[in-house]
Amino acid sequence: MVYFEKFTLDNGLRVIVNQDKTTPIVTINIVYNVGAKHENPERTGFAHLFEHLMFEGSKNIPVYDTPLQMVGGDNNAFTNNDITNYYLSLPKENIETGFWLESDRMLELALTEEKIEIQKNVVIEEFNQRYLNQPYGDAFKILRSLAYKKHPYQWPTIGKEPSHIKKATFQEIKKFFYEHYAPNNAILTVAGNVTKEEIKELTEKWFGDIPSRKLADKKIPREPEQKEPRKKEVYREVPHDTIYKAYHMCDRKNEDFYATDLISDLLANGDSSRLHQRLVKEKNVFNTIDAFITGDIDEGLLIISGSISDKTDMKKAEEELQNELNKLNQQPPANGELEKVQNKVESIKIFTRTSTLHNAMNLAFHELIDDAENINTEINKYKEVTPEKIQAVSNKILKENNCSTLYYYSKK
Amino acid sequence: MKKPDRSKFPESKTITEAPLPTANKTRLTNNIPVFEIEKGNEDVIKIDFLFRAGNWFQPKPLVATATNEMLNEGTINYTSEEIAEVMDYYGAFFKTGTNKDTARISMLCLNKNLEKLLPVLSEIVKSPIFPEKEYKIYIENKKQQFKLDRSKVSNLSRIHFNEALFGKEHPYGKVLNYEDHEYLNPEDLRNFHGNYYTPQNCNIIVSGKIKNGTHNLLEKFFGNGWQSNQVKKIPEFTPEPTDKKEIFTPKKEAVQSAIRVGKRLFNQHHPDFAGMNVLTTILGGYFGSRLMKNLREEKGYTYGVNAIIISLVNEGYLLIVSEVGSKVCRASIEAIYEEIKRLKTEKVPGKELQMVKNYMMGDMLKSFDGLLPLSSTYINLVEHKLDERYFQNMIETINNIKQDDLLEIANKYLNEDELIHSIAGTCE
Repeated sequence: MVYFEKFTLDNGLRVIVNQDKTTPIVTINIVYNVGAKHENPERTGFAHLFEHLMFEGSKNIPVYDTPLQMVGGDNNAFTNNDITNYYLSLPKENIETGFWLESDRMLELALTEEKIEIQKNVVIEEFNQRYLNQPYGDAFKILRSLAYKKHPYQWPTIGKEPSHIKKATFQEIKKFFYEHYAPNNAILTVAGNVTKEEIKELTEKWFGDIPSRKLADKKIPREPEQKEPRKKEVYREVPHDTIYKAYHMCDRKNEDFYATDLISDLLANGDSSRLHQRLVKEKNVFNTIDAFITGDIDEGLLIISGSISDKTDMKKAEEELQNELNKLNQQPPANGELEKVQNKVESIKIFTRTSTLHNAMNLAFHELIDDAENINTEINKYKEVTPEKIQAVSNKILKENNCSTLYYYSKK
Repeated sequence: MKKPDRSKFPESKTITEAPLPTANKTRLTNNIPVFEIEKGNEDVIKIDFLFRAGNWFQPKPLVATATNEMLNEGTINYTSEEIAEVMDYYGAFFKTGTNKDTARISMLCLNKNLEKLLPVLSEIVKSPIFPEKEYKIYIENKKQQFKLDRSKVSNLSRIHFNEALFGKEHPYGKVLNYEDHEYLNPEDLRNFHGNYYTPQNCNIIVSGKIKNGTHNLLEKFFGNGWQSNQVKKIPEFTPEPTDKKEIFTPKKEAVQSAIRVGKRLFNQHHPDFAGMNVLTTILGGYFGSRLMKNLREEKGYTYGVNAIIISLVNEGYLLIVSEVGSKVCRASIEAIYEEIKRLKTEKVPGKELQMVKNYMMGDMLKSFDGLLPLSSTYINLVEHKLDERYFQNMIETINNIKQDDLLEIANKYLNEDELIHSIAGTCE
């Protein structure tokens, strides 16, 4: 069990306190309800660029990192298509420095043209390092643009292209801040050897006077149903042919979510999974294969990717993969097989709880989607899934008309 | 409601102490040392086996890795598929890994499933058979993995850097070739396992919520009945560094070059290790480090740059690593050399030194916090034949080291003509 308490400040900031008496470290996590899906299609990569700018000094603090390191703390952040998440950890004795830092950058940033230019460069190098300089680095970028035609999940967090980042202006950046970075658009979690009373006093002191802000209109277009198979081929300087198949799935709050997650586990989580045993070990048409869900808040994707064995070819491997998917559609899994993946989910959930950082992050994320209490109850929803439910959801999802396939060929 | 004064740094405390992790040290009846680390918020347990069976000990390339990675591909009583089934059904996370010195086997599970898993785990450790059929698939996949690895500039830069530092024939520098996959066979793995995966070559580290019966279970599966007469001599090697200053590995179409700069130092037992560690942190060991400020925050050349001391059992080396835009490759290397030089000529300002000290203490606290960080911190100690005094010594150094000490260390160990660099990619 993860024990926690919640309260909300008058300005709309939601606060969650997770008391853990065994740790000398306090973790402060803030999730802002803004991600790449909230971007203007002509200014993609903005939410992520902004994450970088949040470290470039705020109204009263010229450099974010210096005071934090001065008190023995450390921090990081990430952006995805739904959210931007910031976290820091520091010795309990110095908790107030964390509040000072986080509240000041929610209040107001101290940006300059020069700082913005440098971070644009850093982000472009990140783009290069992650997407262009890695074999298969652009695969998911291509896959997204194939799978989504309307919904902004069609571009990756880093953006469609570096030129969008280059074009961002000071005015646009300022506007973005006030429309998204606001107490009424954030959830703060504090985990460590702290009490609710203590945290209430500190949050009221440091965040209480930050005004609520008028948020941007967040209407996001829904992705229309896919009606026919989508396919694309690319040729690159990579060592092996690789196939990527992306299937549309439900959103994070839909009851089908848990069955879909378990389907990806049945297919490829662990050495005993179907695709690994049949296609890697038995037939060796793939040399590695993976299946996972994107876990997005809106309607996401179930993705299967496999690196094809040198002894076979793309078409043959795809056929063998299709056979395995058909089996899942035709017959519900045996009770024991389903139990296996359910047990594994239970283990992962419990292992994750040994980390205060993960507890802080997951509490905030669950609260943002729906309710922090789901951190404890979600496991039951996985356990309630029946073999028949798996088959039903599998039939809904795993079909060619719902699939985008990327054939990533090695240019040999 | 209290009004905050945002213009001032809130009151804070300098951290000068850290509660050192402690392990309950026992032995099984066949003399295997067992380190038990109690860390119990959740009902989970992690068991790690360390064998001195890394690359250092292998009679030919790839043997150490292949032996370790194929342990769970079939044993006397279980097939590869059955092992996978049991591990997955009981929700265990099973992992193996090797490095230059050590081979590891690790299992993380819920306490309630431990007894179900131990019979299988014990066979994996003690009686793997390395079946032909599984071996063929393994080696084919390994070859494909090899090609993928060699297509990344970061790997190219790494292997040629190590080769230059330690020499072609030294286990820390030897480069694996594609053909090496052909010369290996399952018999090599069986021999290597028989020689090095023995009780006298083993340490066990248990962490998590440790129950009264845990020790007895370990004794039952890994104690008395497990014997071996093998006493293997430890091979000896002397590094033979090349005299090249620059190693360049071209890769066309790379938009970024992977660079490594560094030099040989010493292992963690050396009296100057702690001081050098402080100096390396100042240079590039944290987000606000000099190299990050210079290359990332001021110039925008890279997404990240780090300096670290790589610790091996018998050696250690300074490593500065980054991926930078191809156009600024030369400029980045120059900037790195410049920052190293500055450590030798200018005193580290008092405020910066204090910040690094505080950062390092906070970082150490974190390495003792939570099951997984704590267990990996402890595994590192055992692997490098250290004990808790290592941390005590590190804390004393962090608290007491002065600006002049750092200047002295920098001048002793950071001579420019001893530094080398390796570039992979395109460098204009």
